[in-house]
Amino acid sequence: MKSITVALAGNPNVGKTSILNHLAGTSLKVGNWPGVTVEKREGKTKFWDYEIKLIDLPGVYTLEPISEDEWVAYKYITEERPDLILNVIETPNMERDLLLTVELLEHEVPMILVLNMSDEAQKLGIEINEKWLSELLGVRVLKTNGRTGEGVKAILPNIVEALSLREKPKVLKYSDKIEEILEKIREREDETKAELIKKLLEAKEFSKYREDIRRMFGKDAHEVIKDERYAKAHGLYREVVSRKALTSRDITDSLDKVLLHPLLGIPLFFFIMFLLFKVSFDFSAPLMDWVDGFIGSFLAPIVSEVIRSLGLGDWIERLFSEAVVGGVGFVLTFVPLIAVIYFLLALLEFSGYLPRVAFLMDRFMHRIGLHGKSLVPLLLGFGCNVPAIVATRTLETKRDKLLVIAMIPFMSCPARLVVFSFFAVIFFKNPAVVIFSLYIFGILVALMTAFLLRKTTFKGSLYHFVMELPPYRLPTLRLIFRVVWAYVKDFLYRAGTLIFAASVLIWFLLNLPPGVKNPSESLAAHLGRAIAPLFKPLGLDDWRMATSLIPAFLAREIVLSSMGTIYASEIERQEQEFKLSEALREQVVGLGRALKDATLNVFRPVPTAFEVEEEGTESLKSLIASSLSPASALAFMVFLLLYTSCLGTVAVMWREVGKKFALLFLVYSLLVGWTAGFILYRVGGLIWNT
Amino acid sequence: MNLEEVRPGQEVTILELVGKEDILKKVEAMGLRRGRRVSLLQKVGRNLLLKVDNSRVVISKDLARNIEVQ
Ligand SMILES: Nc1nc2c(ncn2[C@@H]2O[C@H](COP(=O)(O)OP(=O)(O)O)[C@@H](O)[C@H]2O)c(=O)[nH]1
Ligand SMILES: [Mg+2]
Repeated sequence: MKSITVALAGNPNVGKTSILNHLAGTSLKVGNWPGVTVEKREGKTKFWDYEIKLIDLPGVYTLEPISEDEWVAYKYITEERPDLILNVIETPNMERDLLLTVELLEHEVPMILVLNMSDEAQKLGIEINEKWLSELLGVRVLKTNGRTGEGVKAILPNIVEALSLREKPKVLKYSDKIEEILEKIREREDETKAELIKKLLEAKEFSKYREDIRRMFGKDAHEVIKDERYAKAHGLYREVVSRKALTSRDITDSLDKVLLHPLLGIPLFFFIMFLLFKVSFDFSAPLMDWVDGFIGSFLAPIVSEVIRSLGLGDWIERLFSEAVVGGVGFVLTFVPLIAVIYFLLALLEFSGYLPRVAFLMDRFMHRIGLHGKSLVPLLLGFGCNVPAIVATRTLETKRDKLLVIAMIPFMSCPARLVVFSFFAVIFFKNPAVVIFSLYIFGILVALMTAFLLRKTTFKGSLYHFVMELPPYRLPTLRLIFRVVWAYVKDFLYRAGTLIFAASVLIWFLLNLPPGVKNPSESLAAHLGRAIAPLFKPLGLDDWRMATSLIPAFLAREIVLSSMGTIYASEIERQEQEFKLSEALREQVVGLGRALKDATLNVFRPVPTAFEVEEEGTESLKSLIASSLSPASALAFMVFLLLYTSCLGTVAVMWREVGKKFALLFLVYSLLVGWTAGFILYRVGGLIWNT
Repeated sequence: MNLEEVRPGQEVTILELVGKEDILKKVEAMGLRRGRRVSLLQKVGRNLLLKVDNSRVVISKDLARNIEVQ
């Protein structure tokens, strides 16, 4: 088996990752905005007897890098030299894209041109003479649609053929004068054009030639080479592209007239965000109820029955019902909320609206010293802080990058939302308002953090704004579901590993030392009481709250699973008669009803999800309601909002910025979270106690 | 005149990019270079939204000042 390395190179947002996903069956992240891919990523596939390693690179407009992600692509192409470059081109913007093609050709690596977005080109009346292009450059040219996968199949056989026939692109010819000079500085037979140009522009010993050029052209050598490249790209474009005059109006232009309207744009943005959260709650609420019932009154009785009939013993059954059902199962009821919110966030990302928010909000952001582009990672933070932090690599300056990384952890993610939605419903009449305020509070703390950093450490001034806005695009449903599934799978995986382990650990601590009767005399209680004084000023002196917070530094959902486990032993279990066929029917009917309610909810103008229902029995909710006051519940939520209790986030900060930054930030977030919790507890106490 | 002075809806031809900053090279590579036609779609805050060929590019006014147009 021979192995081949192929790099996908091209301008940002032209469909490189989409094509790689089709070729290698991977699900690397795709999105309709420049800057989705910021690291070198790879996929592998087999074809005939070749193992083909496909390297996905961040998009670049030119091989003159500025930001960190652009450097990654530049370094890979110039230093590692792949066996073949798959140059992906956005056909509607061929003239622009051909500049990079010319620069890539200078490296004299075998190449295949992929004319992607052929569907959009066709709609715009753009036609390409592929055969002529192929002859002019001496490379194979393929036409694809990265959205549907049309034409992608032809890529692999062409790669293998081109390489086994040792096809080489024609060597680019610039103007005679330049070629003559380049030949003079050639020292070896096999030097590439790129190497020659680099020597001409940079090497000390060739400064004489630079002066010659300046005399001949009246310009810097840099300028002259640049002009030659552009002329080449433009010439190619003129040769192969023809366009029919079309009269149909561009949908993107029409949408932008409204969505980017100088006055309406920003209110519309807030309205869209409001809709996003409203729909996620309202649609998922009935489904969450259903999952709750499904686990509690269907799965749990079945498994208990099995455990009992196998005679595995009482403590196994208790472990199951308290740690697995009470802890892990409890967290699982939030799966619908997670799925719906990611579905909507994915729509936002694929539509092309995301970078437009950066454009719209820059007028406010830059007044407070932040770059509008920072908004893209900040918004991604509402989905998950970890990829959001990685996304800061597209920012052009280190200052912006660090500022934004210090803000992202305060953007509330779905893991926090899950905790809030649970507590807010128990303690407040208007849970939606409370949750909304928490989100805003997080944003304010982020802004305050940025302000402090700007006044002390990162003084510099603001950088220019340069960004491309893609056309609005519709994703395929398959693509959206793949994204949603990736997040749900991740959540389930964590439920099955981390959260499960934490629940079991807590359960054992609750049942140690052996023979302990009352949980309040268990090891877990002793541990909780040991750290409770720290949380007493926040009104959280109940050992059960303190104990739940201990393992939550791994991930915030663990607070819920731990509480579920701790309180599960106190919830009276009602023994009900269980008939499989009847229960099954009930579940199916219930699911139907939940789906119907979910759909109806979406069309209600006001949020409905949080209408509090009375529950008569000793449920988890009523137990928690009796062990906390509203003020301390608020303090608890704020503490969890602000303190970076997420191993993933700390780890990615460590990797992206460094150990010192990550640990300092962790301490900072703890202090801020604690202080804010303390103040709110005091203020809340004044309000609710009078 | 320079690009900053163009009004929304107007279409102009780029004459020259003045300045030595690295970012201008990127701006050029994004299609804003000598001889190209650009139209100004919107002005919002410190930024301009331009259409070049079939792509839309946002640049801030401080950069637009470096671009001479006609
Ligand atoms: N209409 C259309 N959309 C495409 C095509 N290829 C990719 N896309 C979409 O273009 C966007 C950018 O794709 P992506 O693969 O992330 O581009 P990359 O930044 O070059 O890796 C995504 O929204 C894709 O769904 C295509 O051929 N036609
Ligand atoms: Mg990509």
